[in-house]
Amino acid sequence: MNKQSIQKSAASGMVFGVIVIFFALIGFTVVISGLIQKALGQSLGVGQMPSTSSFLIFLGLLGIWNGWRASRQDKHETLNTKKVLGRSVIAGLVAGVLVMAYALIVGALDNRGINLRTYLSQLSSESIKFFLFNQTIVVGGLIHVFYSTLMAVMGGLLALASERSQERVKSTRESIQKWSQDRWLGKLRGNPYVSYVLMGVVLLLLVLLPRTWGAYWNYVMGTVGIYVLLGLGLNIIVGFSGQLVLGYVAFFAIGAYTFALTTAPEPHNLVWNFWVALGVAVLAAALSGILIGLPIMRLRGDYLAIVTLGFGEIIRILLKSDILKDFTMGPRGVRNIAGPTLFGQSFTSDVDFMYLIILAVLLSIFLARRWQESSIGRAWLAISQDETVAQATGVNTQKYKLLALSLGAAFAGLGGALFASRNQFTGPEDHALMVSINVLVLVIVGGMGSIPGVILGAFTLKGLPEILRELENYRLLVFGALLVVMMIIRPEGLWPARRPKLEMPVGQENEPVPLPATTGGEK
Amino acid sequence: MKTVLEARQVSKIFGGLVAVNKVDLVVPEGSIASIIGPNGAGKTTLFNCISGFYTPELGDVLFNGRKIQGMLTDKVAAMGIARTYQNIRLFKNMSAVENVMVGFEPRLKHGWMKAMLKTPDYQKEQKHIINEASRLLHYVGLAGLGDNLALNLPYGAQRRLEIARALANQPTLLLLDEPTAGMNPQETDAMKDFIRQIRDDLGITIILIEHDMRVVMNISDQISVLDYGQKIAEGNPKEIQANPRVIEAYLGPGAAALSEKYRREKLHDA
Repeated sequence: MNKQSIQKSAASGMVFGVIVIFFALIGFTVVISGLIQKALGQSLGVGQMPSTSSFLIFLGLLGIWNGWRASRQDKHETLNTKKVLGRSVIAGLVAGVLVMAYALIVGALDNRGINLRTYLSQLSSESIKFFLFNQTIVVGGLIHVFYSTLMAVMGGLLALASERSQERVKSTRESIQKWSQDRWLGKLRGNPYVSYVLMGVVLLLLVLLPRTWGAYWNYVMGTVGIYVLLGLGLNIIVGFSGQLVLGYVAFFAIGAYTFALTTAPEPHNLVWNFWVALGVAVLAAALSGILIGLPIMRLRGDYLAIVTLGFGEIIRILLKSDILKDFTMGPRGVRNIAGPTLFGQSFTSDVDFMYLIILAVLLSIFLARRWQESSIGRAWLAISQDETVAQATGVNTQKYKLLALSLGAAFAGLGGALFASRNQFTGPEDHALMVSINVLVLVIVGGMGSIPGVILGAFTLKGLPEILRELENYRLLVFGALLVVMMIIRPEGLWPARRPKLEMPVGQENEPVPLPATTGGEK
Repeated sequence: MKTVLEARQVSKIFGGLVAVNKVDLVVPEGSIASIIGPNGAGKTTLFNCISGFYTPELGDVLFNGRKIQGMLTDKVAAMGIARTYQNIRLFKNMSAVENVMVGFEPRLKHGWMKAMLKTPDYQKEQKHIINEASRLLHYVGLAGLGDNLALNLPYGAQRRLEIARALANQPTLLLLDEPTAGMNPQETDAMKDFIRQIRDDLGITIILIEHDMRVVMNISDQISVLDYGQKIAEGNPKEIQANPRVIEAYLGPGAAALSEKYRREKLHDA
């Protein structure tokens, strides 16, 4: 083993050691172990520490990853047992020793009766004991070293095995692919009716699921649906037309408040019809998109982001302020917002709202796809690639940018109105900056400019945290990590946008001049 | 002959730097006019003044007799001036045929409402545009490459695609900014013939910025020489080649005398 290889292995071990320590410091080790325990089907009482075995599983996975990474340092070299063992042992030892050092310090402090929770809220005495596998400090630390090394070696051997079997895996995969294409799968893919059947199945599920899966799921999926709406809208602005707007929540707020103020008994007692108010809310949001767009048309990139960021905050603070208290109820928010009615009957159950949101999402998907595939989408894309050149090529950039802003804002307005109506309440804090950031992140993670990507992004970023309630406190951590990982391994998003195939065959090689001689360019 | 483009005393000033200084330019219809000059002479700045990227501080730019300085670039493009760029500026993540289709934008009759409703006449227009774009790709020699992303095309093809996009504007005046930059001699020759072909086939007037003197001297009807923002010479290729000021601008003071001496020696030897 050469010096460089040792250094790399040690570096990998350091990284993993630091990760484990970091997780321990923020209490993530306990949470994830609890999740693993639940996933294994064992119950876990509130306030009870998870079992040691689930913690060992978590540590083991990290350790295997560590060994795997450490042993695969260079893509082009072939691994052998000696190399792998040396590297993974070093990586595992370094990580284990680091973790042991941490365990010794924390354990010793805890033994002396110093309450570490004063400084780090997650470091309770139990969690420290848990981290030491309920052993004494020295034994716990040694277990960490031993276990980390063992798992790293396993990871290394796994890497070796995977490399040795790569050829076989490749040939197997190819033969499976070939087989499936030859047989029914390939034929199915070419069959146009398949997509209709699939669509039918999805529609049937969308009709049946809200009725069967209960109020909790309707609530969770309703939230996801509203975020799909917001994501589709922001995708028009950021993904299609390439304008980085950070104050998207402003349009959401305008939609929600317009709807709230026109339907709630307080403060104006307007009590309009649900559908009229919904339309007005969407229109108001679209109009505000144009009004905001006009002065900032000349701004691009960072400047646009900053200005719109400020705009979003201005709206929230205005809603909260005393100046508009008589008009918007100030920080108290608007209560008793109307639910949907049809032919005099009221439809306000969770199932009805779920259907309403599904309808809105389907409509939005349909419209967004239309726009994307049309000449508008092409002009937007050109603007997003190079605005200066797009304009010089004859694209009326101002018109198209305003159009994108107002259409995107309309989606947000629709989302806001549905949100307010479902909660029967809306207040300034529903429209904080975090909403804009959430939506932007889901668009980026899903794939900018890609409609299925946005839907997937909304499910991953809004749906998963709702399901994994335990991880609620670590949402920002997960967001950040997810963004970093995405930018490294899949910068174009989970489901990136593709360009359609359009070119048409042109007749013979020597056909006459294709364009008529042009005359007069006036339009 | 009718004048397509006329620049009168055009000046563009950046802070203390006079990038273009009172330049006059008259381009007759159907001609190929070249603008040459050392690096930093203000050629591209003059282009930018014509195509609407910059508004000249002084002077007028007239296109078919109408003043166009200060107009937005999309309006200029709609009037019939199209251009290409010194460093290729395609819409990189769009397919080649889409790049060309964007060029049809100023001619589109049906607005965004009809696009949203997908009316039959909108669909017909789109089909027509796809067809025309495919034909344009064929014309510039990129048939069959239309569905590749622009950034995946080889360098020479990207230059041609830029020209196709410009032609999609259906211009009467085409501004080409160093179309042969970075090309090998064969490609340069092909591009030279292609530029001439565009003029002959489509009757488009062409203004060319070019550093390759074999191209310039071969296809230009008229050459204007810029140096430090000023026009120092104008004429047909023969006149320019013999002009001592041009030689000095390129090779430094005293170079004209030197080259004269060298020529005489050669004559003497022969």
